[in-house]
Amino acid sequence: MRGFWGKVMNAPITSFTPTAPEDVAWLGTGPVPAAAYYDPIWYADEISAIFKQNWLQIGHICEVPDRGSFIRRELEFAAASLLIVRGADDVVRAFHNVCTHRGTQLVAAECGRAKTFSCRYHMWTYDGDGRLLSAPDFEQFGLDKADCGLPQVACEVVAGMIFVNLAKQPVQGLREYLGDLAMRMEELPIARATTFSEYHYEIDANWKLTYDNFQENYHLRFIHSRSGAAAFAPENPFGYPAAFGFHGEHRTQTLWSNPNPEIKQLQTLGFMRGFAALVAKGVVPSDGSNASGSRDYFALFPNFFLLGTPAQQFSHSVYPLGPEKSRGVIRLYWVGADSTPSERYAREYSMATARDIHAEDRGVITAGQRGLSSGALAHIHFQAQEALCRHLYNGVAARVNAWRVKKGDVG
Amino acid sequence: MSSLPEGFAPLEPFAAEWAIEGTAARAARRDGMTTAEGEAFYAAGKDLLAPALDYLDAKGFAAFADQDRRLMAMMLSLAHVALAVELQGPDEAKHTKVRKFMVITKSPADAGLGHKNVG
Repeated sequence: MRGFWGKVMNAPITSFTPTAPEDVAWLGTGPVPAAAYYDPIWYADEISAIFKQNWLQIGHICEVPDRGSFIRRELEFAAASLLIVRGADDVVRAFHNVCTHRGTQLVAAECGRAKTFSCRYHMWTYDGDGRLLSAPDFEQFGLDKADCGLPQVACEVVAGMIFVNLAKQPVQGLREYLGDLAMRMEELPIARATTFSEYHYEIDANWKLTYDNFQENYHLRFIHSRSGAAAFAPENPFGYPAAFGFHGEHRTQTLWSNPNPEIKQLQTLGFMRGFAALVAKGVVPSDGSNASGSRDYFALFPNFFLLGTPAQQFSHSVYPLGPEKSRGVIRLYWVGADSTPSERYAREYSMATARDIHAEDRGVITAGQRGLSSGALAHIHFQAQEALCRHLYNGVAARVNAWRVKKGDVG
Repeated sequence: MSSLPEGFAPLEPFAAEWAIEGTAARAARRDGMTTAEGEAFYAAGKDLLAPALDYLDAKGFAAFADQDRRLMAMMLSLAHVALAVELQGPDEAKHTKVRKFMVITKSPADAGLGHKNVG
């Protein structure tokens, strides 16, 4: 069992030394204002200062595999509908899903394949590059078609993942923004994923409160005492990460591997069959090794997670829907279609496992929001092992405060 | 005539209830099961899962007959039931209440499927 688990979870790290408080003291150690997790004015400034200015992951290139393939994405926090299209030149572009005639939303389908997109209102028709091709009686407008293309949104792809930026002129490109994390993620199987499993949830909780739950392990033994029992052991009773990493506004943790977990009968079978399929496909070597990112859990500012273990590549995006409401979208990415019934079983088991764990999280996060929204607390507290939560708050506060200075709200 | 391939007769009493197409439908069936239903299916299936997958792997998707598709669907249902029986145990009823908020929207197992129930 031990050897198997080490392979499947690709676990070179077995000893455990927790991150010392002094190692993360540079982030600050004091209490954090509770209002940032429910105040509607703070939330509105987050949307303006962060979500309308930042690179946001909204899909994967496997969703637009062919020329003309498109997906539609709704970004409620910005009241924006986006159309992401692979053009005739094979370039993936993002547009506001809005006809330039009188603003009608252009595409209603969630996804599909099309050479052209026509507005049902007056039949203005665009190509996959966003150019206006034709419009009935167009000479009546006195316009130039070249000036009537779909409004483009900055769009870049890293590790197969599609990111957009709603700013008219992003302050920096995606790769520059991600720094060395871009290359590390490019080496992961997600970069060549061709399909995925997906589930989502809505939750009555601020996006940061939701997100924070997934970047601290302090709660694991209490909230996931059954589903996550394999993640903790006497030498690391909380299942704390082996290491934290800080990369500008982004952060990583290196997951700790329990060297001798208790694994149930069908749990073992699910992991073993999945691992064998990954080896057969060459996604991971038979000894379970991987050049990089073997136990990395990436947290990209502001709202995206990517778990980078070779055996499982799951992403989790947390979208703000309001000061006290958010939505999580979880995907488990796979390379290739189900090659065998065993692989199909393993993927089914894997998603059901992750879903069970996330379901437990959702329940306790809403309880946290109810407590915070009551206004009973002026502050909340983060310990050293919740350093990633503090790092997120610091990054958000820096953006919001800079925005307020720029707006002239504060001197 | 058996509804399942030869060698899997002990699963026959469970075929009507657990040969379910679609990941979301299988998850929903777990939500609706009684403790006794889950434990009985798990007990019958746990030692047959490996032989069933070996048999189905050897056959390959392209050669699946209806009996094979039924067995595949049952094994996929067993993945959900195993989580309830092996991991959640006495907490399963409580867990079902929080799980319903996690909406399954896509699964590779659903690729190319109609909504034909093979049970």
